[in-house]
Amino acid sequence: MSIIIHNISKKFGAFTALNNINLNIPTGHLVALLGPSGCGKTTLLRIIAGLETADTGKVEFEGDDYFSPVVYGKRIGFVFQHYALFRHMNVFENVAFGLRVKPRKSRLSKAEIKDRVFSLLRLVQMEHLSDHYPGQLSGGQRQRVALARVLAIEPKVLLLDEPFGALDARVRQELRRWLKKLHDEIHVTSIFVTHDQEEAMEVADQVVVMNEGKIEQVGTPEEVYHKPASGFVYNFLGNVNLFHGRIEHGQIHIGEISMEWPENELVINEDSHEQLKTATVFLRPHLLEIDKSPNYKSSFRAKIKHINAAGSQVKIELVASWGDSIVAEISHERFKELQLKKNMEVYVSFDKQNLFITPGLLT
Amino acid sequence: MTDNELIKLPVDYLPVHVQASVRETGLVKWLLIIISTLFLGFFLFIPLITVFAEAFRKGIAEYFNAFSDPAAIAAIRLTLITALIAIPANLIFGLAASWSIARFNFPGKNILITLIDLPFAISPVISGFIFVLFFGLQGWLGPWLAENDIKIIFAIPGIVLATIFVTFPFVARELIPLMQEQGNEEEQAAMLLGASGWKTFWKVTLPNVKWALLYGVILCNARAMGEFGAVSVVSGHIRGKTNTIPLHVEILYNEYNFVAAFAVASLLAFLALLTLAVKSIIEWKYKHP
Amino acid sequence: MKFKFKKYSPLPGFGLTFGYTIFYLSLIVLIPLAALFFKSFSLTWHQFWDTVTDIRVLASYKLTFMAAFIAALINAVFGFIVAWILVRYQFPGKKFIDALVDLPFALPTAVSGIALTTIYSKNGWIGQILEPIGIKTAFSPLGIMIALTFIGLPFVVRSLQPALDDLDLEVEEAAACLGANCWQTFYKVILPAVLPSLLTGFALAFARGLGEYGSVVFISGNMPLKTEITSLLIISKLEQYDYAGATAIAVVMLIISFVLLLLINLLQSWNNRRVNNGGVN
Repeated sequence: MSIIIHNISKKFGAFTALNNINLNIPTGHLVALLGPSGCGKTTLLRIIAGLETADTGKVEFEGDDYFSPVVYGKRIGFVFQHYALFRHMNVFENVAFGLRVKPRKSRLSKAEIKDRVFSLLRLVQMEHLSDHYPGQLSGGQRQRVALARVLAIEPKVLLLDEPFGALDARVRQELRRWLKKLHDEIHVTSIFVTHDQEEAMEVADQVVVMNEGKIEQVGTPEEVYHKPASGFVYNFLGNVNLFHGRIEHGQIHIGEISMEWPENELVINEDSHEQLKTATVFLRPHLLEIDKSPNYKSSFRAKIKHINAAGSQVKIELVASWGDSIVAEISHERFKELQLKKNMEVYVSFDKQNLFITPGLLT
Repeated sequence: MTDNELIKLPVDYLPVHVQASVRETGLVKWLLIIISTLFLGFFLFIPLITVFAEAFRKGIAEYFNAFSDPAAIAAIRLTLITALIAIPANLIFGLAASWSIARFNFPGKNILITLIDLPFAISPVISGFIFVLFFGLQGWLGPWLAENDIKIIFAIPGIVLATIFVTFPFVARELIPLMQEQGNEEEQAAMLLGASGWKTFWKVTLPNVKWALLYGVILCNARAMGEFGAVSVVSGHIRGKTNTIPLHVEILYNEYNFVAAFAVASLLAFLALLTLAVKSIIEWKYKHP
Repeated sequence: MKFKFKKYSPLPGFGLTFGYTIFYLSLIVLIPLAALFFKSFSLTWHQFWDTVTDIRVLASYKLTFMAAFIAALINAVFGFIVAWILVRYQFPGKKFIDALVDLPFALPTAVSGIALTTIYSKNGWIGQILEPIGIKTAFSPLGIMIALTFIGLPFVVRSLQPALDDLDLEVEEAAACLGANCWQTFYKVILPAVLPSLLTGFALAFARGLGEYGSVVFISGNMPLKTEITSLLIISKLEQYDYAGATAIAVVMLIISFVLLLLINLLQSWNNRRVNNGGVN
């Protein structure tokens, strides 16, 4: 079932949680709502579920206009961040709940309910703990029970609020892959909320990046990563070096380097049509190269402050000649070849094609 | 972790001169325990024992004789009737109040909670008196009630009303804080899983608060059966008709019929002990779900 | 935007339960209480003032306040010790003592009244020891104090227990307190930390003592000007069909109760703020 979100706005007092959100989620997709805390992603999810009302706008399910506050009977599977398992019921009873509360006419027989619950428990690998109570389970186990519980009602939409937020790193990794696999099997339209870009990139087939109540970009993980629509998206999706530059006569000046930049691109303030004097330049650490001598035109001097060689890449912290801190990542081979040491003076260079520039100052 | 561990553990880590003074705490500990025991013994335990000792002073036959008095039987009956009306009334109220207060946000909530607690702050005598003023002959509805031959004051309805008033907050005040603490995510989950409002309430809310509910009910029951001041004002003390157990105890005592007074009182004391036992069990259950 | 009384919630039943709550509260509590105040308006100010400042009434206030205050004070001291041993120590019979503390809540006041009277009258277990050495307990203000101490104890203990339970590190140190510093630790560390709870317990015990009737009426002897508490005075006015007089005194007592209730609420919110601020204030 597809979900279409029209012009949704929501305020809590003076705080704008959502500002005119429009979004189209096609059937069968696995979508991540990604953004920093307070960006409105959880509020949007709760409005889709009917747990919250929007001030304006509406949510349509496959053309079926849905704005009723009555949430039951809609077959929306919602997994709460802290799972909200029924603490007085064991795992079996939790999963069976949605089947048992159906009206008598459409309710399955006891034996059928039992079969269904156990097949779901097999799916989430919780069969052996069916008589345990939520209080006796680990975080990851509770998460899987919560999922089995909503899958029992054969949801048309699956909504997950920070599904891995309360788990430790290892369990989180495992559950991510598992969720992806599960989605491949059942193919139900799914939306999950996360503040972890890695998680969104790995699990989702479509990422919605949100900031301050607005959608910054919608796209596949590759699109948002490689073609970010804004500085915020570029910044949020990975480690980044951020420089503030001056604009003069079609040139951007950052410290001792300057680059040509056509004045008609980007650097116009939409409101005043005035030319901006500043720009923010983003660059990912792995796109920086380090050399002992200058080789490109756009290379600058920097001093090595700290080296961290523990990891798949060597992380080098530097200070540019004009005082900005910079992080670069290079391969271990290159690191050995250059024989870099702390306090060494080096030249840092980059390919202009890889720069991401936005007008104004962004911090 | 037991308290013993808390006190014993640090000793090994402390310097020698401090260890000596820690051992002194053992002395302080037992001194405080003895003071407490003596205080509680004098003020609580001896009165409790006295009730039973006085009741059996002249033997078992005399004890049971007190219950063959028709007035005693009538008093027990009236007390049971009163409790059987007051408890369900306040139970339904407690559930409604806790659902509306703990599950929704609206302005003035704290004022409402304070108003619900109000009957606890009011002297029992005044609690009875307000009903006399309202329904009594000189009261607001008195003349109209007399015309239509409806008796409320100095009759059973007055006793029931006064009892409902003094036991009014018991169930609500046990449920509201617990339900506020538990939050409503489980109910939201239940509704999203397709449960109706009623089913959510019966299958999710009620099982989660059942011990607190039972706790509120037994406290409500103890007070309903034992209320003296408020009921005394509205009852009119008509022997065999409008006397509850505590009022019957008062009459017997004032007639210097001490054995009978304490025998009947022992029923209430036994009820109190039962209440305390159930309360302890519930508290244990609550800590070991 | 339209004003909404209640914030949106996906759960149903607000109208029904809120409506019933208000209805039942009004019917049982608010309307009858309002009747008392309206009745008092039928008195002239002069009548009202003369009634509530009558010498017998004044004597009853004084007695009621003094007895309730001293009883609450005794409970504050001994209740503290009882709460302390229940929270801090492990000893045989602890569960029994813990349960026993609630006895005054559970035991009907009339029963405790006749039991205390029997014990402290001149033939009673304790009375026969105290009477020969000149201490008259039953049918004297001392008896009233004893009854009010009995009634008020659980309030102090139950208010203090959670607060003492929350103390951790400080109490560790205090439990290992060092000779002369022991008292300092107590009143510099422990007492300030649990003060709001102690005051709440004290105020609750005091408020209960002011309105208490059942356990006092037997032991007090009810002599006007000497051992007649205010609650009893209201009843005797009623028995003489002096509704106006009873109303006036009841209104005064009610207002005092409300002031105490307000005070207790303030104490509790003070306590909650301290807890939420991690006890910094």
